[in-house]
Amino acid sequence: MDNNNLFKMPRRKFMAAAGAFGAATMAYPGMSVSADGKVLTIRSYSDLQILDPAFWLSIPESDIIRSIFAPLVEVEAGDKWDWKAVAVDSIKQVDDLTVTFKLRDNIGFTDGYGQMTADDVKFSLERIADPALESPYAGDWSALKEVEVKDKLSGVIHLKNKFVPLWTTTLPTAASCILSRKAIADLGDKITTKPVAQSGQYLLADWQPKQKTVLKRNPNWAHERGGFEEIHIIPIEDPATAERGFEAGDLDYTWTSVSSLPRLKKNPPPNSVVLEKPSLAYVWLGINQDAAPFDNINLRRAVQHGVDRQAVVDAAYFGAASVANGIIAPGLPGNRKKVTYDYDPDKAKALLKKEGISNLNVTLDILNQSERLTAAQVIQANLADVGINVEIKQNDSGTFWTLGSKDGNYWNKLQLVLSRFSMQPDPSWATVWFTPEQVGVWNWERFNNAEYKNLHEQGLVESSPSKRDKIYKRMQDLMDESGSYVFFTHEVVGAIHHTSVEPGLKPNGESLFPEFEPS
Amino acid sequence: MLKYLANRVLLSIAIVSVALFLLFSMIYLIPGDPAAVALGPRATEAMRDALRIKMGLDQPVWVQFWNFFTGAWTGDLGNEVLSDRPVFNVVMEQLPFTLALIAGGMTWSIALGIPLGCLAAVRQGGWVDRLIGVFSVAMIAVPSFVVAIYALLVFAVALRWLPAIGAGEAGNTGEQIIHLILPSLAVGLGWVGYIGRMVRASMLEVLEAPHVRTARAFGLPDWLITYRYALTIAILPTITLLGVGIGQMLSSAVFAEIVFARPGVGKLVYDAILTRNYPLVTGAVLVTTVLFVFINLLADIIVGAFDPRVRSRF
Repeated sequence: MDNNNLFKMPRRKFMAAAGAFGAATMAYPGMSVSADGKVLTIRSYSDLQILDPAFWLSIPESDIIRSIFAPLVEVEAGDKWDWKAVAVDSIKQVDDLTVTFKLRDNIGFTDGYGQMTADDVKFSLERIADPALESPYAGDWSALKEVEVKDKLSGVIHLKNKFVPLWTTTLPTAASCILSRKAIADLGDKITTKPVAQSGQYLLADWQPKQKTVLKRNPNWAHERGGFEEIHIIPIEDPATAERGFEAGDLDYTWTSVSSLPRLKKNPPPNSVVLEKPSLAYVWLGINQDAAPFDNINLRRAVQHGVDRQAVVDAAYFGAASVANGIIAPGLPGNRKKVTYDYDPDKAKALLKKEGISNLNVTLDILNQSERLTAAQVIQANLADVGINVEIKQNDSGTFWTLGSKDGNYWNKLQLVLSRFSMQPDPSWATVWFTPEQVGVWNWERFNNAEYKNLHEQGLVESSPSKRDKIYKRMQDLMDESGSYVFFTHEVVGAIHHTSVEPGLKPNGESLFPEFEPS
Repeated sequence: MLKYLANRVLLSIAIVSVALFLLFSMIYLIPGDPAAVALGPRATEAMRDALRIKMGLDQPVWVQFWNFFTGAWTGDLGNEVLSDRPVFNVVMEQLPFTLALIAGGMTWSIALGIPLGCLAAVRQGGWVDRLIGVFSVAMIAVPSFVVAIYALLVFAVALRWLPAIGAGEAGNTGEQIIHLILPSLAVGLGWVGYIGRMVRASMLEVLEAPHVRTARAFGLPDWLITYRYALTIAILPTITLLGVGIGQMLSSAVFAEIVFARPGVGKLVYDAILTRNYPLVTGAVLVTTVLFVFINLLADIIVGAFDPRVRSRF
């Protein structure tokens, strides 16, 4: 071809080529991949690293683990915290120290590891509890004495002591997933990213690091089938990126940022449903009682009275979340309506005056996320009004999560810190982090109260909901009295799904993959 | 040429060595405890101590540096903290995605920048030249993440012509190319301006050269003079610029990989820094440093091969 011809394309030919290009681009519509009911595409906020029930790192990993290694029981989808059987035919608490179970008789392990037996249950539960394994989840089975094998499918879980969170934060979690004793022995170590002897409703079919995890229905699962033939899990850390992915039609379901909820609710993308679920998490302003000047309780109280909690929550969450008066979320024993202090700038000023302080300079450490920064700026403005000048220090997550550690050298300089902890549906999960043993670990306020510790231990063995309610309310009263806490909110969980999908979710919006259905 | 080549290779080794030292210093000076981050809130103190020992963080700094330095030169990048997989494997899984992104970005910048530069040069002083000048400066001025976000909002969210996230199905080249269009545009568009300006300046110089005047005197057509006699010489400074451009695109790739939720080394490093996954950070940055140095070495060799004046300076 003569080079000159390149520049002599007739106008008609050019228009035809341009039209063909346009048609080709239009032929790639961003339609939902679940439209055929076969593939569900869902976002997770992190990629998997470890698929061992004893060592999982993040909720997205736990979601996969509970799908591919059958747990004894699982949280039931819906708005109430309840559980349902998965690997067991029956399971029953006979008394405070005894739980009997019988496995379903046709659950098999992949890779030729045969049928799931009561001995595998014994192995799996005792493995996590074994101190030698050094599982971070050993505490879930801290009350386990042993699992007694009765016959091939039946056994008894014996506890050392009464353990109330057993049915909320131990059994319906990855801590009850059953592994094959023989497979783990053959493996010689913990499971990393290549699971062996899978047994769940889904099987891990493919993992493309940082790109995609593919679960496929287990063809040998003889019980309730998962709703989709395949579940594609896309790791996307940033919620805004995930929202754009959903709006472009690349995702069927995703969590959203809380701050996006009002916008999405007001103007949802076509063919989508916006969900708002109550979160169990809790957000608070911590005040380090061992670091000057807040080793003076009156200055801590001045901060408690100097912060307008409603304004902080409204600004940070665009009105999507409400103010909380403690660390235990609504629906759980110990959720507290009582307010023992509130926004009272005059009182704050009076406390500062009483201490002879007119102009105080302090630091507030936060994680560098937009919601935290907004909250911190409102706190800064509130406290400036009463005479406390706040310098906001933003930290990346790797730095932030070690600020109050006794291993570092910053804990005695840490003054104010804005924190958020996630939760499991038992109040002990909220209170455990503020016990004296946690000072310098996760208790960065260095709140050290013997009564609080005793109450926490009582709560673990008290099964009466009304008594537990009193215990946990008293514990939060003690936190208030210390002056080291300003409680803000439990947030909400925002999620969005395509109308072709009926999501299977825990009451707090966490995913139950096998419960997702085509609608 | 051999002396020139040896000089460039030795210089590259020195650059990588300095980069290793700076990298170690920066990574180990930032606060944060990788053991606490990796093991999560429920880990015991004993477990955290064990991991610190396993990572060698209990050793004196100079021992840590020596182990890191010798390990890097022998190709032993260690295992990553979270999954205990070899760092080299983890980086190599992600590298093709970043290379594809940079190649796509380069394609955009070359395909648009060179013709625009040539056009501006041959229409010097006219409205076309001025228009291209404004366009080029605008492209340089707009940050790549802004281009990424707007491209995503327009072509993926509003028009739904192109996908917003991911890198396409493994093994499906067509789908992978479709997934590459927007991110590579975001990475490459800024360099359209740089390349356009560089090509224009070089072309103006070359178009005044005696051999071009002679070609004109012989009555050769303008396009032949422009593309065969002028551009082949004017392109040499642009090749050097492209070598630098690849380094810049590596940093732009971080934004594109985050905004478009694409796998890649940039996002790998970003995530690894947040989790204080030291072996992964050092391994990934080392690989990209070597890559950058290698590409610049290649650019120098190409320029040296075509232009004896460059060789004679070494």
